[in-house]
Amino acid sequence: MAKVTEITVWTRGVVMDKEARDVANAFAQAAKMEGKFIQAFDNYEDLPDRVLVTTRKYARISDEEIEMKYLYTNGHPDVVVIVEPTIIKGINVLKGMPEGGLLVVNTNRPIDYMLKFIPNADVLGAIATVDADGISGIRTVDFSGSEGGVDAAGVGAGIAAPILGAMCRVTGMVKKENLAKVISDVASMERGYNEVKLQKFRKPRSEYFWGS
Amino acid sequence: MPIKVPKDREVPFGAITPAPVKQQELFITSNWRIVRPVIDHEKCTRCFTCYASCPDSCWSYNEKEDQMEWNWRFCKGCQICIHECPVDAISAVPELDFEDGVVRLEKPF
Repeated sequence: MAKVTEITVWTRGVVMDKEARDVANAFAQAAKMEGKFIQAFDNYEDLPDRVLVTTRKYARISDEEIEMKYLYTNGHPDVVVIVEPTIIKGINVLKGMPEGGLLVVNTNRPIDYMLKFIPNADVLGAIATVDADGISGIRTVDFSGSEGGVDAAGVGAGIAAPILGAMCRVTGMVKKENLAKVISDVASMERGYNEVKLQKFRKPRSEYFWGS
Repeated sequence: MPIKVPKDREVPFGAITPAPVKQQELFITSNWRIVRPVIDHEKCTRCFTCYASCPDSCWSYNEKEDQMEWNWRFCKGCQICIHECPVDAISAVPELDFEDGVVRLEKPF
């Protein structure tokens, strides 16, 4: 079985729920356009319908058909995306990550400052930060129960767009052109692509190559 | 055959949590916060509006010190006390400005 790249997106319930779902769905959709096999789904283990509660979205990308369809959680995430930076203080987000994985954080704080809050940061192969709230501070707060599903802004608007641009550049898994076809806010995605900050850590036995 | 329950998911018999207790350590929700309410004791008039408006009873009065006390373990950062305070003694400060004050959990609650 070919290597399945697992992506876990951490977010907060209701206030940033739609953005994180867009990150997982749009990234997987862009990979599908390049002939990859994908899975993307929401919060199967968490209760997301409470304001500010930490919750997860998942995506999986592989070159061959994915044979783990009945597993609803990513046990060994290669890429962890943090939509709201305070989450790294309260949750062990790197749980199960293989040596040399990638952490993408939406924050305007320096990388060294964020690493202070991650006691198990030595497994990381790279950490990337993008100031998505500064680039596009739009969030879809929706209390109607539709979870942003009827939002007229479309997929990949708001803070999801810069995060997707940053992920696209750092992971190199999808092409920017394909991502631009999926999401609605292409200008913010370009800014996220250009303004992402990356710090790599040397991991001799790691099979990952983050950053271009 | 008995059902095997993981240690971290165990609850007392009948799923009844020990009561009455002032603080229920099984339900710590400090990692829900994005911002933290920080009180200015000079400005505070001890009107107890924050005490009355907090949905999780995170504000209490410390008689010895004659000031309001904030319970960081259960505050979810809803900012109701900040909006309700008549003298603006409470302000919202991002949680990442502080090194401590959040319980680091392995799983989301």
